[in-house]
Amino acid sequence: MKSISLKKRTSDKDQFAMDPDAEIDLEINSLSFAYGGPDSDFKVLSDVSLKIHGAQLVSILGPNGVGKSTFIHCLNKILEPTGGTVMVNDNDLSEITVKDLAKVMGYVPYTSSDNFPLSVTDTVLMGRHPHSKWGSIDDDLRVVHEMLTLIGITDLADRNFNELSAGQHQKVMLARGLAQEPRILFLDEPTSNLDVRFQLEITRMLKRLSRQKNMLVIMISHDINIAAKYSDNIIMLFDGGVYAVGRPQDVITSENISHVYEVGAQVITDNGRPHIVLVDDDDTDYDDDHNYHVLRTG
Amino acid sequence: MSIIDEFIDRYHRLSRRRLMFAVLFFVVAAVSVIMSLGFGTYHISLTEALNTFIDHISGGVVDRKDDLYVWDIRLPRAIGAAFIGAGLAMGGVVMQNLMQNPLAEPYTMGVSSGAFLGAVLSMMLGFSVVPALSGDMAVVCNAFLFSLIPVAIITLVSRFKKLSPTAIILLGIAIMYVFSSITQYLMVTAEAETLASAYHWRVGSLSKVTWENLPFLVVFVTVISVILYTFHRKLDAMYSGDRCAQTLGVNPSLLRGVCLVLVSLMTAAVVSFTGTIGFIGLVGPHIARMFVGSSNKLLMPSAVAFGAAFLILADTVAKVSGVNGLPVGVISSMVGGPLFLYILIKKNRKVWM
Repeated sequence: MKSISLKKRTSDKDQFAMDPDAEIDLEINSLSFAYGGPDSDFKVLSDVSLKIHGAQLVSILGPNGVGKSTFIHCLNKILEPTGGTVMVNDNDLSEITVKDLAKVMGYVPYTSSDNFPLSVTDTVLMGRHPHSKWGSIDDDLRVVHEMLTLIGITDLADRNFNELSAGQHQKVMLARGLAQEPRILFLDEPTSNLDVRFQLEITRMLKRLSRQKNMLVIMISHDINIAAKYSDNIIMLFDGGVYAVGRPQDVITSENISHVYEVGAQVITDNGRPHIVLVDDDDTDYDDDHNYHVLRTG
Repeated sequence: MSIIDEFIDRYHRLSRRRLMFAVLFFVVAAVSVIMSLGFGTYHISLTEALNTFIDHISGGVVDRKDDLYVWDIRLPRAIGAAFIGAGLAMGGVVMQNLMQNPLAEPYTMGVSSGAFLGAVLSMMLGFSVVPALSGDMAVVCNAFLFSLIPVAIITLVSRFKKLSPTAIILLGIAIMYVFSSITQYLMVTAEAETLASAYHWRVGSLSKVTWENLPFLVVFVTVISVILYTFHRKLDAMYSGDRCAQTLGVNPSLLRGVCLVLVSLMTAAVVSFTGTIGFIGLVGPHIARMFVGSSNKLLMPSAVAFGAAFLILADTVAKVSGVNGLPVGVISSMVGGPLFLYILIKKNRKVWM
């Protein structure tokens, strides 16, 4: 376990910061991760190398348990890789302090604990912590309001976070991630609890924001069609490594889907983007013409 | 006014309104300190007590005996009650936050069981960690040092192994059982008289707070509470779990380690003088939370104010109930439990999961 660095920074070594206009470069060099240390048998990722360049929306696909969340956690320092390096604009991730990193990297988790009553405004305000200074929080509140408006949840501002539904939680956590104003934003299945309209709206918004805010957005998704519809690039993980990477039309093929997810898929093209239709080859006869029914009676 | 200004304005208005809870209870606490001078086993009316108080401040002591009771016994005790209540409530706020657990309290890590063992060792075997001390001071000193053993063990273990909040709670409980078993063994073999005093210590009483030891209490509670308050935004970030807190720029293990030590020191200072006063550290934060929410900027001062006011009132009842009457630890739980239930049912909002 690496100890926490408490030493003062020497003057010749500058604090990590990112020029707002600089292009984002995320370089992953032979990244490995195993729960329980490098010698453990429980390897999740081995020898992953990728170069992600520019403000864009990247989706990570792959079956359950393949290590999508682990992968993201290795990129935002929640986990320490057991091998390899991650470079953020030529800065080694392991040498960037948690505090400096929070100014450029945001994270929207899959689940959020909600043991105590905190208002939605205060929850989103938390996202401003990396940028907070002593004194007035009015500027932070301005950002909070901007994000609440962007996600369309200003009406929830004074509600307690733990009174809200799963979908509303997701929106609040998203607003918090955006309020952090990161250059790289990681999201773990950000739309899993949202209805179809918001799945589309939020994913489209993420793509738009990636351009507007010069931000690299990397999200884990289980919805192949939404990922294909909006992503600039897709990373498909399988068996501890990258199975395919590239533009949606190159990654979302029926061969890749059937190999990685072990399910038949037919790929059609919609507006130049691939769209999959799942094929079920189970031929059991369930007698679909039976007379069981559900009727509205009032 | 633009929509944004209105939003900001509304946030501040709501915060100010919630802060009124803290202000209200600070006022109640201050008034209670003064009022409590008129209550106790020594009979003196409230007006007389207040006159004695004013006489003492203006330098003209009229009745020596009245002055002794009002100024030398009741006033330090009341001030002590305020700071002890405040400190325990503050400790509870921080512990519940750090442990992500509404059942956490200042004693969760075994502070009280350590203190009790230290006290019992001194009372029964005459053992003192600091050899020069004897009697009451040895008890206090033993209790203080022993109560810091659990947090020392937890800190030591966490240097080698990353401990989750749940692991810390379990470790605290394990240490508590070890300490309790030793204490119980000692108590089983003790004589009736020492047993009673040990038991009395256990339940918690403010009768040992004097002008001599009050500064010690006040300094510990004030300094540590102020330090903890400066962490309020970092602690807010901890509500969303260690991982999220880290992505918000907070080092969760470091913050937890530092806060655990601070809370333990504060609780140890309190417990070693008063014994284990229960309830306020567990429920005080929740009562404040029901009115002001969990944002530490508001919750901390509110819980502190409520804790202070509550313990002075509870101690006033304890004093009125006689020399051998109910100790404050009993009163605080007896009154506090039903009060908590009432507020919980009355405030029909979902406060916890």
